[in-house]
Amino acid sequence: MSVVQNRRCRWALLLTAWLVFPVLADLPPLTHGLAPIAEPVDAPMLRLTSMDDEIVDLASLRGQVVVVNFWATWCPPCRREMPSLEHLYQQAGEKGVTVLAVNVGEDEDTVFPFLGTVDPSPTFPILFDTDSSVLTQWRVRGLPTTFVVGPNGKLAYQAVGGREFNHPDLIDQLLQLLEK
Amino acid sequence: MLRDISRRLIPVILSLLWGESALAQTRSVDPETGSVTWETQTHGVTLSLTQILPDQARAFYVNRGMPTAATESYAKSCVYMTVLRNDSAPDVVHFRLADWSVVSEAGSQSPIGAATWLKRFEADALSQSARIAFRWAQFPPEQEYQPGGDWNQGMLSTGLPPNSEFDLVARWDVAGEPFEGVLKNVRCAK
Repeated sequence: MSVVQNRRCRWALLLTAWLVFPVLADLPPLTHGLAPIAEPVDAPMLRLTSMDDEIVDLASLRGQVVVVNFWATWCPPCRREMPSLEHLYQQAGEKGVTVLAVNVGEDEDTVFPFLGTVDPSPTFPILFDTDSSVLTQWRVRGLPTTFVVGPNGKLAYQAVGGREFNHPDLIDQLLQLLEK
Repeated sequence: MLRDISRRLIPVILSLLWGESALAQTRSVDPETGSVTWETQTHGVTLSLTQILPDQARAFYVNRGMPTAATESYAKSCVYMTVLRNDSAPDVVHFRLADWSVVSEAGSQSPIGAATWLKRFEADALSQSARIAFRWAQFPPEQEYQPGGDWNQGMLSTGLPPNSEFDLVARWDVAGEPFEGVLKNVRCAK
C-alpha cells in the first residue's frame, strides 16, 4: 500500500471513528441514585500522578467526602457524566466534597484534548492509572464506576454506570455524609 | 369446578404472558448509521443490543492502537453495543456472561468474552493501552447491579458470521432466584 493510500485509509478510519459515538451515544437517561455499601470497609489505597504532575494520595483527604470516578475517554457514559462531576465539584467543593477522576489506560496526550471538549471543563484532579492496577484493587468490573469515600476513609456508596452527579438529591446525599 | 376454572384461566394467562413478552421487544433503526437496536424490558431489567458495524469496530480499535489483524477478526464477529440495567428489580441483579446463550441455526453458544479474545490476540502483541482499552470496552464478564439504576454498556461479540440471525438469552439472578430476558430474531450486521 502506498503512502497516499495509507493516509486515505487512516483518514477513512478516523472519520468512521466519529460514527461510533452516535451509536454509542444513544443511551438511556442518567439516574442519580447511589447505592449504600452495606458493610463499609476502608477504601483501597489510591496514590496516583495527576495531569498536573502532582502525586495525589486519597489518604491525605481524610475528613472530606471523596468521589472517586473510574473512566476513559472512549467510554460514552463516562463522557456523558463528566460535566455533572464538574458541576458537583463547583457546588459542593468548598463544603468538603472533592472529586478524583481516575483515567484508565490512557495518557495525557489523549486525555487533555478530550477535557477541552467537556463543558464545563473539569477543574478537579484527573489521575492516571496507566496499567489499570488501581482499577483492579478497587474491584471495578465495568466503566464508569464511582465510589464515594466518607470522611472516615471508608467506602460509603457506589454507582455502576453513568450518573447525573449534580442532581440536588445526590448532592444532599453527599453533604449528609459530611455530617455523620 | 377448580379444575374447570384453571383450564379456562391457563390459556388466558399464557396468552397474556406471550403478549407481554412479544410487546416488550422493540426494534429501532438509527437513521444516520443504519444500525439496528433490539430492546426488551422484563422483571425490572432493561436489555438492549445495538449493531456495531464492522467498519465502526475497526475504526474504534485501530484508533486505540490495536493491530489490524486483531481488529479484523473481532470486527467480523457480529458485535453489539450491549446495555443491561437494573431499573426496578427488587434486589441486586447478578449475572455471568458465561451463562448467556446465543442461539442460532449453528446451535447454542455463550458470547465470546474479553478473556477469550485477549488470548486469541496473544500473537498480535497488543500494547498495554490497546489491551486495556479492549478489555474495558467489552461488556463485563460478571457484574452486580444495585437497585435504582446501576447499569453497564459494553461491546459483546457473539462469534457469529455477518448477517446471521439468532436469539439472545440473557440470564441473571436476583437474590438467588433465576430470571432471563430474551431478544428474538436479532440479526448480525453485514
